[in-house]
Amino acid sequence: MRSLLSFLIAIKAINTNLLAAEAGMPQLDPTYWASQAFWLILVFTILYILISKIHLPKIKNNLDDRENKIKGDLESANEFKEQSEAKLKEYDTILENAKKEVSKILLESKNILDKNIQSKKNLIEKEIEKEILKAQKEITELKKSSLSSIQKISENIASNLIENISGEKLNESSIKAAVQEISKKQVDKYL
Amino acid sequence: MQQFTVHKIGPEIKIAGLDLSFTNASLFMVISASIIILFLFLGSKEKRIVPGKIQLIAELFYSFVAKMISDTAGSKAKPYFPFIFSLFMFVLFCNMVGMLPYSFTVTSHIIVTLIMALFIFVAVTIIGFFKHGIKYLSIFVPSGVPVVLLPLITIIEIISYLSRPVSLSVRLFANMMAGHTMLKVFGGFVVSLGILGGWLPLGFSVALTGLEILVAFLQAYVFAILTCIYLNDALNLHH
Repeated sequence: MRSLLSFLIAIKAINTNLLAAEAGMPQLDPTYWASQAFWLILVFTILYILISKIHLPKIKNNLDDRENKIKGDLESANEFKEQSEAKLKEYDTILENAKKEVSKILLESKNILDKNIQSKKNLIEKEIEKEILKAQKEITELKKSSLSSIQKISENIASNLIENISGEKLNESSIKAAVQEISKKQVDKYL
Repeated sequence: MQQFTVHKIGPEIKIAGLDLSFTNASLFMVISASIIILFLFLGSKEKRIVPGKIQLIAELFYSFVAKMISDTAGSKAKPYFPFIFSLFMFVLFCNMVGMLPYSFTVTSHIIVTLIMALFIFVAVTIIGFFKHGIKYLSIFVPSGVPVVLLPLITIIEIISYLSRPVSLSVRLFANMMAGHTMLKVFGGFVVSLGILGGWLPLGFSVALTGLEILVAFLQAYVFAILTCIYLNDALNLHH
């Protein structure tokens, strides 16, 4: 639409000054066409040579440098990342090993302690058993001795009783036998 | 129309009967080219990893044109990158310099744009014949067209091919001239309507200036991308 509008303006400009281009559109005045063409070609050629030989290679260099730098930086960053991951893995394994060792040591010391406790317990139990046996022996001895003394006492009591009641002395051996016989029957009840 | 007049600066230079005098048009060509050179010099002077402002803009131009070429004409067009870059920069800076008040718009002259377009046309045609020989003529015979329509289509294709330099040059010239003429017309309205009624055309002038800057960029881009497309036709036969 713009070109149409400009075209109309151009047509109008041409029509109003038909064949008198100098007054209407200076663009259609051929006086300086050669000059413009000449200077355009000259200026543009110089511009082209300068741009293509000096400036574009420089800018391209700059851009390439930047790209390479970014690429290099990214690569080294990746490398560092891999390194740190490897280190992390190493650290993890070390930590795991340490944990295993700790549990092992714990188990071992627990076992040793258990063994110690067990042996000491056994020792003490044995001692207690011995003491018990000793005490039992003492008790039975005491019983026996008390039994024999009870027999003697009962013999004395019996002979005394018989002497007091009947007034005569029985021989001691028969009393002893009788007491023995009775006490055997009676003492069994109490023992 | 005074802004489009070409006048001589300095002595008259005549070579082989042609008047090659230095004119204001030549002056503004030199100015535009100098600005480009200065800008690119500043933009590529320092090799910084993190670019400065000018370096960033220069590199943006570089990658912009490089992407444009690789998108439209593929990797085969790489050797022509400096030419298209120069062309784009030259047209863009001529357009932009022309936006300054009291300056001269080089690209608003049909002879300038026509010479550029003719050069591109001739160069592209030579490249086409050089790369593909006589087979380059098959560009006029599109594939997959019914035989009945083929003569007609071929004639249309030939006409469209031959009118390429005209359309390319007139597009740029007419856009630039129309824009500047419009600015001038609205500027004239501001003066003639005075302090009472001149505010509306003044607003239009401001808006149009913005539009013209856009057009200046756009037309440079269009000029360069059409060159790329023509080059693509010549390099990669049968699109």
